[in-house]
Amino acid sequence: MSISGWFDERLSLDRFKAKFLGKPFPVHTTFFLGEVALFCFVVLVITGLYLALNYEPSAEKIGGTSGAGGLPAAYASTLFIDANPFGALLRRIHHWSAHLMIAAVVLHMLRVFFTASYRRPRELNWLLGLGLLGATIGASFAGYLLPYDQFSVTATAIAYGIARSVPWVGPTVADVLFAGRFPSPSTVPRFYAYHVVFAPAVLAALMSAHLLVLLKQKHTEPAASARRDEASARQIAGIPFWPQQILLMLVLFLMVLAAAATLSAFLPVHPSEYFGPPGPATPEVKPDWYLLWVYGALRLIPGNLSVRVFGATIGSEAIGAMLVPGLISLVILLVPWLDRSRSSLHYAEDPRSSPTRLAAGMVMLTLFGALSLAGFNVELGLSVPALWVITLVAPAAVGVASYLLAARSAPPSPDGGPAGAH
Amino acid sequence: MDRRRFADLSLKTGIVAAVASAIPGIATLRGRSRSATSQEVAVGDRLVFALGQNAGQAVTEGSFAQNEAVLAFPEGKSENHDNLVLVCKLDPSAVKSPTDMAGSTHGIVVYSAVCTHLGCTVRFSEEPMDMAPFPHIHCPCHSALFDPHRGALVMGGPAPRALPQLPVRLSDKGEVLVSGPFTAPIGVAS
Repeated sequence: MSISGWFDERLSLDRFKAKFLGKPFPVHTTFFLGEVALFCFVVLVITGLYLALNYEPSAEKIGGTSGAGGLPAAYASTLFIDANPFGALLRRIHHWSAHLMIAAVVLHMLRVFFTASYRRPRELNWLLGLGLLGATIGASFAGYLLPYDQFSVTATAIAYGIARSVPWVGPTVADVLFAGRFPSPSTVPRFYAYHVVFAPAVLAALMSAHLLVLLKQKHTEPAASARRDEASARQIAGIPFWPQQILLMLVLFLMVLAAAATLSAFLPVHPSEYFGPPGPATPEVKPDWYLLWVYGALRLIPGNLSVRVFGATIGSEAIGAMLVPGLISLVILLVPWLDRSRSSLHYAEDPRSSPTRLAAGMVMLTLFGALSLAGFNVELGLSVPALWVITLVAPAAVGVASYLLAARSAPPSPDGGPAGAH
Repeated sequence: MDRRRFADLSLKTGIVAAVASAIPGIATLRGRSRSATSQEVAVGDRLVFALGQNAGQAVTEGSFAQNEAVLAFPEGKSENHDNLVLVCKLDPSAVKSPTDMAGSTHGIVVYSAVCTHLGCTVRFSEEPMDMAPFPHIHCPCHSALFDPHRGALVMGGPAPRALPQLPVRLSDKGEVLVSGPFTAPIGVAS
C-alpha cells in the first residue's frame, strides 16, 4: 500500500482533497506579494531557529578583568555566531529577510489599495493586513536590539525616549515595555522574549486569520477577467492549487531564499563587528528605510512646538514620533470606510478607474518620500524650512498630476461589467 | 432574576474580575533595577575621561585647547549613563548668562551630554560649519543645536529645553571637580 493510501485510509483525506486541492488561484504578477511576505517569514523562522541556539540574551559584561572592560554577553554571542562557519551569512540572511518581508507587506498593501480590493466585504482583511505590517515592524524592532552593538543600543535608546514622551502615561508605559529605564539589565531578555516568542506567535495567528478570511471570501480576480462573458462571471478563474499553484509557490519560495542569500553575500547588513560594543558616544544613526519617515518628521518638528494639556506636556518628540505617525496610520486604517465608491465583490479594479483614489495613494506615497528625505537634511544641505516646503508642496503637486493623468487616460469600466455593457 | 440574566451577569463579573486581577501583574513588568542608578553625581567628584586612551584619567585644565570639549564621567560612576557630561573649554569672555557663572571657571563649562530630545549623546562642533555658528553643541540623532556660551540654550532643531549644566571648580592640581548638582533633570523630560 502506498504511503498516501495509508494516511487516506486513516484520516479520510478524500473529502479534504476534493475541497481544497482544486481551489482556483487567480493569476496576476502582483498577486504574489503576500506570498513573498509569507515565504520571508518562513526563512526568518528557519534562520532564527539557528541563531537562537547560540545567542545569549544578556547585557551583563563578560570577559573583563574585575568589573572593568569586557563585552556585553549578547554582543559577545553575536560575534561568536558570526565567527562560526556560515554564521555571519545566516545572520545576514535573517536580517535581509526581515527587510524583504516588510517591503513585500508594503507592496502587497499598495497593490490592494490601488486595485481597491479593500472594499466591502474585505475590510476585515485590510485591518488584519495592517496588523501584520505593525507586527512585522514590531518584530524587526525587537530583533534590532539583540546584537547589542553600539548601533542597536542607540536606536533602542531613541525608541525608549519616544515612548517616554507620550503624555501622562509615557514613563510608566516605557518602563513596562522596556523592562525598566533603558539601558536596564532586564531589557535584553525582555526583547528576546518579544522577538522569539511573542512576535512569531502574533504573526502566525494574524497570518492564519488573514488566510482564513481570504479562503472564505475568495480572492479578487484581475480586472481583465471582468471582460469574460456573463455565464462564467459567477466562477473564479485561476489555476488549481494542486499541482500548478503549489509549484509556483515552491519556485517563488526558492526565489525569495535566493534573493536574501544573494543580498547577504554581497551587502553586509548590520555589521555588528564594525559598529562595536555599546559605549558613551553616539554614532551617526539613521533608522531602517521603513521608519525613515518618522525620523524625518522628528527632524522637522521644532523643539519650541509643545502643547500643555491637562498638566502634561506634548513635546516635539511626541508630535513627531507619535501624533503625526498616529494620524497617518489612522487615515490608512479607515481607508475602507473613507472610500464610498460602489464595491465589486469579485474584481480588482484598474488603478486608473478612480482618479481620486489614485491621487490619494500618490499623495500618501509622496508624503512618505518627502518625510524620509527630511531625514537627510544635513547630508543634502537642505534647511528645515526648505524641507517643510517640499513636504507640503510635493505631495500636493504629485496628487494633482496623478489625478489629471488618470482622468485623461481612458479608464476601463469600474465595477467589473463588460465595457460598454451598462 | 431569571437564569439568563444571572448567567449574563456572572460572565460580565468574571471578565471584569479577570481583567482587574491582571493589573497588579503589570507592575511586575518593570524589570529589575540597576545598581547603577545609585551612582549619583556628588559634590567633590573628580571628572575623568569617558573615552579614548586617557579613559579613566582625570580631566585637567590643560587637557584640551580652547573651543574643544571632551566626554567625561564622575570618577567611578560610569555605569550610570545619565552621568555622562561634556566638558567644554570656551573663551571665558564669551560665556554669558544664563550660564551658571559661579559653576564655570577659566572658560570650562560642563553640560550633561544626554540630549534633552531623545537621549542621544551630544557632540561639540569640531570645526566651523556653514549650518550653525561655531562653536556649538549638536546631537547626531535629530540635529538638535545648543549654544555652549549661553547655558546650552536650544539654538535650533527639535530639542525642547537646554542641556542641564553641572557646576564645577578646579582643584589645586587643575583637575575638574563637581561643585553642585545638575541645574535641571537629565535627558528626556518625563
